[in-house]
Amino acid sequence: MFMKIFKILLFLFLCISPFVAAQEKPDSIPAWTQDNSFRTHATMFGIGHLNILDTYLSPEEYTGTQFKLMRENMRMTRLLNNRISVQNIIQGHFAYTKSPTEDGKQLSGMFGWNLTWHYNWSITPALHILLGPGMSINGGFTYNTRNGNNPAQARLSTDLNLSAMAIYKLHFWNRIFTLRYQADMPVVGLMFSPNYGQSYYEIFSLGNYDHNVCFTNPFQAFSINQLLSFDIPIYGATLRIGYLGSIRQNQVNHLKQHDWSNLFIIGYVKHFYLIKNKNYHHSQIARK
Amino acid sequence: MKFLHHIALILSVSFLPLLLVSCVTEDTQTNSVNGNFQALWQILDEHYCFFPEKSDVYGLNWNDEYTYYKERLSPTMTDEQLFDVCARMLRDLRDGHVNLSSSFNTARFWDWYEKYPANFSDSIQRLYLGTDYYLTGGIKYRILDDNIGYIYCSSFNNTFGSGNLSAIFSKLAICNGVIVDVRNNEGGMLTSAQALAECFTNQVITGGYICHKTGKGHSEFSSPEAIKLTPATGVRWQKKVVVLTNRRCYSAANSFVMYMKACPNVTVMGAQTGGGGGLPFSSELPNGWALRFSACPMYDKDMNPTEFGIEPDVSINMTQLDMARNVDTIIEAARSFLKK
Repeated sequence: MFMKIFKILLFLFLCISPFVAAQEKPDSIPAWTQDNSFRTHATMFGIGHLNILDTYLSPEEYTGTQFKLMRENMRMTRLLNNRISVQNIIQGHFAYTKSPTEDGKQLSGMFGWNLTWHYNWSITPALHILLGPGMSINGGFTYNTRNGNNPAQARLSTDLNLSAMAIYKLHFWNRIFTLRYQADMPVVGLMFSPNYGQSYYEIFSLGNYDHNVCFTNPFQAFSINQLLSFDIPIYGATLRIGYLGSIRQNQVNHLKQHDWSNLFIIGYVKHFYLIKNKNYHHSQIARK
Repeated sequence: MKFLHHIALILSVSFLPLLLVSCVTEDTQTNSVNGNFQALWQILDEHYCFFPEKSDVYGLNWNDEYTYYKERLSPTMTDEQLFDVCARMLRDLRDGHVNLSSSFNTARFWDWYEKYPANFSDSIQRLYLGTDYYLTGGIKYRILDDNIGYIYCSSFNNTFGSGNLSAIFSKLAICNGVIVDVRNNEGGMLTSAQALAECFTNQVITGGYICHKTGKGHSEFSSPEAIKLTPATGVRWQKKVVVLTNRRCYSAANSFVMYMKACPNVTVMGAQTGGGGGLPFSSELPNGWALRFSACPMYDKDMNPTEFGIEPDVSINMTQLDMARNVDTIIEAARSFLKK
């Protein structure tokens, strides 16, 4: 069911993206992007369900709770006539999962950094579409509490991504509410993986390499991160609530991995302007 | 801007085939009598590393095993009855590293030592060690009254630091030779076995070889890679060494004997080791039973398999007469050898 919804959303995105580019007008740069000193910082906490499979550790799917902490920074740049924004996301998560019979337990942790450059279009004053490339680096582990010589799986990967975002601003009660949808998809990457039956003793104690750095692409295993958020202004602050869905999959060296997570997120957002030349601004204010 | 439009169009068309890509999942079996049996057979079929050797030595045919034991299943059988069928199938692998663990029993194959003379008596050995022996990192050691050093290593579950090993060989430096007794040592960490063996070489040598499976086929293996023994950074033993073995030397202890056979001035005495020349991995069945099996085969420096045990250089068994006199025949033979 989840995959069907995802496929419909992806299909809609792929269908509209050419038209979005076609409708774009030179004078339609959103007002909030005119000033490249504008910054948006968001800190988010997520909690939800994780389904994890790693056939190096077990053929069974483990399920449990995942906790996530995310820090997002967005700012405009002067590139392409002030149309390029940069999004910087640093995130970490921890999960405790159990096998279907709850005899096996796994602990997993991951740290990731995403950097994305978006080209900005204004479809209407309220609707903005962003599309662009990005890169990400992820590192972490999955530890199975009852395995012997294959107790853990190290995770290390880097990807080049394609990212799309839609921002819609709603006006209620003289306040601006922001609805946002973002989808990030790795299109090519490298990841670490032991070979099919290779032990970590061979890799790290003996230093035996055997196809441990693997090329990844979406045609061997499809991955995507989706964030749907709603920003609510409350007494000068901005509260963010939303949904973060992640499908992370790999199929290398005859080993299969997937991390499917559905998280509820809550956080706060800060919008502000960066004053680069404090003395200049002060002198301008004094003249007025 | 027209250029960007084209880029967006190309990207859209390029990623349309992704809609056809499905989720990455494993075809797991159901938690039923048939499902659990099928999962057990299939995990071993795809991951167990000694099918070629077991076929050559024992005539094992894994497909025939499936057919034979599948007929013994019944949908109404209890967990204990299913466990018994699975345990009997696993016994046919004749591998001490293969275990199936449930909440009520552990399937095992211990014939590698249970069907052979023990060649070790801890009550007799205690007379040699006394009560005032030295103990570091789990290793017991002392100087026997004929100035022969005696080291007893009962397990490789402990990590041996360079300081531990240097302390042992510094203390025994005045001895004419040293006995390293690994009888009844059922293994532990390969890194510990390697660390102890590296105290007996002054140059980098090949202690053995290891490889791993690269696919699901019974013969899909990587090229064997050498396990190099590099000289220990602390005190290294330069005189004669005798390693004592029996049938209960298994797994990492078996590898230790393999490493020592590659070192200079080393003589292995006692009985053939029990084997266990495959690094074990873990997995599990749909009903939660834990499975352990050999995954990475190891070979000695001449590429001989070590799964079936390692022959000693001098074969000696403990005699009933000596045991009646509280004499350890194998220790006495080693002392005589070192005094020559």
